[in-house]
Amino acid sequence: MRLKKMKAITLLLSAVLTVGLIAGCGGKQASDKVTIRMIESLTSPKRTELIQAMLDKFQEDNPNIKVELISPPFDQADNKIRTMLGSKEEIDILEVRDLNVAEFVNNGYIEPLDAYTDKWSDFATVSAVSKSVGTVGGKMYFLPNGLYQRQMFYRADWFKEKGLNPPTTWEELYETAKKLTDPSKNRFGFSFRGGAGSNGTTDSMILAYNGDKVNLEDSMFTKDGATIYSTPEAKAAMELYLKLYKDASPPDSINWGFQEQVQAFTSGVTAILLQDPDVIQSLQEKMEEGTWATAPLQTGPTGKALFAAGGAGWGMSSKSKHKEEAWKLIEYLSSPEVNTKFSKDYGLIPLHTTATEDEFFKTGPYKTLIDMSDKPDTFVNYKPAFEYPGNGQWGQVAMETGQALLLNKATLDETLKKWDSYWVEQKANLKQ
Amino acid sequence: MKKNIFRSGKIIYLAIYLLIMIFPLYWIVITSLKPQKEIFSFPLKYWPEHMTLDNYIHIFKISKFHIYIGNSLLVSIVSALIVLVIATLSAYVMARFTFRGHKQIMMAFIATQMLPGFVALAPLYLMMSSMNLINNRMSLILMYTVTLIPFTTIMLRGFFQRIPASLEEAAMIDGCSRWSALLRIIIPVMLPGIASSFIFAFVQNWNELFLAVMFIDNDSLKTLPVAMNSFILKFDVDWGAMSAGAVLSIIPTVLIFAFAQKFIVEGLTQGAEKG
Amino acid sequence: MNNRKIILTGLIPALLLVLVFTYYPFLRGIIMAFQEYKLFNLSNVHFIGIDNFKNAFQDPKFIMALQNSAYWVFCSLILQFLLGLTLALMLKRKFRGRGIYQGLVFYSWALSGFLIGMIWKWMFNSQIGVINDLLLRIGLIHQRIGFLSEQKWAMMSVIIANVWYGVAFFAIMLLAALQSVPSELYEAAEMDGAGGVRRLWNITLPYIKPTIISTLMLRAIWIFNDPSLIYGLTNGGPAGSTHILSSLMLEHIIYGGDYGAASAIGIIMIVILLLYTIFFLSVTKAEKAGEF
Repeated sequence: MRLKKMKAITLLLSAVLTVGLIAGCGGKQASDKVTIRMIESLTSPKRTELIQAMLDKFQEDNPNIKVELISPPFDQADNKIRTMLGSKEEIDILEVRDLNVAEFVNNGYIEPLDAYTDKWSDFATVSAVSKSVGTVGGKMYFLPNGLYQRQMFYRADWFKEKGLNPPTTWEELYETAKKLTDPSKNRFGFSFRGGAGSNGTTDSMILAYNGDKVNLEDSMFTKDGATIYSTPEAKAAMELYLKLYKDASPPDSINWGFQEQVQAFTSGVTAILLQDPDVIQSLQEKMEEGTWATAPLQTGPTGKALFAAGGAGWGMSSKSKHKEEAWKLIEYLSSPEVNTKFSKDYGLIPLHTTATEDEFFKTGPYKTLIDMSDKPDTFVNYKPAFEYPGNGQWGQVAMETGQALLLNKATLDETLKKWDSYWVEQKANLKQ
Repeated sequence: MKKNIFRSGKIIYLAIYLLIMIFPLYWIVITSLKPQKEIFSFPLKYWPEHMTLDNYIHIFKISKFHIYIGNSLLVSIVSALIVLVIATLSAYVMARFTFRGHKQIMMAFIATQMLPGFVALAPLYLMMSSMNLINNRMSLILMYTVTLIPFTTIMLRGFFQRIPASLEEAAMIDGCSRWSALLRIIIPVMLPGIASSFIFAFVQNWNELFLAVMFIDNDSLKTLPVAMNSFILKFDVDWGAMSAGAVLSIIPTVLIFAFAQKFIVEGLTQGAEKG
Repeated sequence: MNNRKIILTGLIPALLLVLVFTYYPFLRGIIMAFQEYKLFNLSNVHFIGIDNFKNAFQDPKFIMALQNSAYWVFCSLILQFLLGLTLALMLKRKFRGRGIYQGLVFYSWALSGFLIGMIWKWMFNSQIGVINDLLLRIGLIHQRIGFLSEQKWAMMSVIIANVWYGVAFFAIMLLAALQSVPSELYEAAEMDGAGGVRRLWNITLPYIKPTIISTLMLRAIWIFNDPSLIYGLTNGGPAGSTHILSSLMLEHIIYGGDYGAASAIGIIMIVILLLYTIFFLSVTKAEKAGEF
């Protein structure tokens, strides 16, 4: 009896082992098809679904090309991409971010696209901002799949209740946020972000306060060549920033990243949120219509707000063995029709200027962004410091020192000094 | 009187403890049954106002959850079984024989438990890459097996030591070879111990995240923890999907545990019986 | 078949796999600790002596993580042990429904650290977290607490989640050991008129001491080495105040791509663990603790 049982178990065991081995070895098939491997970085299950749909269509039109999409979890995606590139795993197309394009170029991982775009008829309508986001050292390395640009989201119903108007300056933003703050009701004026990405707020305040002084082409520096953190304006901006945290933000927002920041807004804890358009979908899903609205960015004392567009997009691996096919796919994904649809579905500013003529972008939450671009004297576009390899680490540095400042572990002067010397050093490194 | 106080004290303690252990599970189940808007609305509801399976439907719609479950089952079970075979052999040898280098080998197994695994991550990736195992479930099966061999060997060795050698010697006199004595006589006696080793290995494999993220590319080969990690989005954690996914991924291990915990304690008790 | 052959067949698969896939990559990883090895800049990998170690000790974050590691291991371990022991003692005697009860309280051990981190992150959430809501309803607090974002609370919250995770493991191991205490020992003690506390102190604890020692040692190492709960719960924040060494190492890898710095921390961790093991074994005088 017992023996039989043992035999049965052994049999089962070997069966499972065999199945495992066979199943494990599957996946490779022989055919004449060219296989393009493509990896995304800003992954979310929903976005992956949209991209996969575009790829399906592309493969239908190009039966000789097979596309394998790799979608690592967002949190570990950039690390995975780096590891794959570093170990020479086969990758043809990768999602390059404004944050890491300089790093990839430095390592020789990605191929300039100029030779391809020259022959591409739709390149004429690619917006100037898109081109500038994807360009390092005069060469274009990726075509954005959409642009991000910060604007203000606010609780229209709470503003109405208190008879408030959307603030137009940072000073007003502080005053308004303070009026909306009532800790006993768990309501706060401002969706503060002291965690990952905190420099989104500090840098834009400091830029707005510096106003005309800023060198728009080299935006971490003033026209005199000093860093933007070394000016008295920077100090004034940061003083307001500290007040904004202490008087109008939830105490624990010191550790909030975008997740908590957005969640606090959608769950009715905070009244003002500064974010990119790709949160729009999330807001539409979680909030009642009419409870929220959008407004332009706030200006500094000189009446100017500096803004930058960011983005991620499709670049080509320099080691790709199928560059022609890879470009074909990038061209397809970047075509006005496909890209505009993706931008709409996911909530981004489209790649082509022609697309902003679309009704979709002229109404609703996107309208503010178009309005801002119509007032170039107030809303000044600058080029972020993406060409500095150290820019990728800046978020981390600014966050850690910024949190120490908010916790009173460092003084304002010390903090600004640290930021100043970080960028002085970056400049020196770049010159070498 | 004193006994009664002691008894009610014990009941209260056990009740509070139960509450604390059950509550997180309860809360994640409740969250998973709430519609999106209710998850984020005040005041918090301790019972969903509109109970719905939307979150579950949602995760199957936006991701291939059934495929991830299948992959996780495959990888976890296959690797746990291979570990058992390999570790039973090594544990048996380590328990029954003394030989030159015995102590060093034991130390080498124990020392693996101290190594912070992430130091080896980059070299491992390169090794898998050169063996063409990236984007292949074999890489996970292999690495999960390797990771668990030392601990399982140490654990099973303890079980072997508690079984008198006379048992298999008697069988060998009857004409059994050593291996068949092991297979027919010793292992059946050790079943509780083997079962707890299997469950331990299965649970570890089922939960592993970091290697699975690095080694697997294609969606159709991903395991559950990777899918769960994907619910951390750029703007928020998709708590609806996360809670539904958590419930689904918890079910197998909790079920195994609920049914097998008697077995596990029994197995370990056997192991703990020292002379 | 002679013994030599049996020993070789039994050991070779296990040893070979462990040597090739654990020790070899690990040694390769150790070399990185002495190199500038950044995924940012792979074209410039070179030996830099002990600079990575110097940098680590000059980094306030590392010093904080070092302190936190001690705090994290010590508090988690003591609480898990005491709660686990109490629970095991109460479950020692059979009662109706004990099997079901054990199933209901032991399951936490079968979940992943990452998932437990996420679940507690959801419950600790300062805005819509259920723990704040419960405390407010009971009236214990009047303002929401940022359990994971205020420095004075963060480390404590992380440890609570870890204790919740690990009690089951202790309870299972200790329960198993308790059930193996021969009942004759108790009978004899009862005849001597020994009370409950004395029986626990004089019979039970000495008998299960080997299990206690090996469980404490093994758990300490695991708790020290496993970053997954912290990765899920706080990812080290706020301002690095909940980083332990292993989570800091993970951060260097995932977000910094700096394998040199990560490996240096890894080596420091091994040194600490070796010292701990030697110390622990000499204090408890248990040379055989390896035999769990």
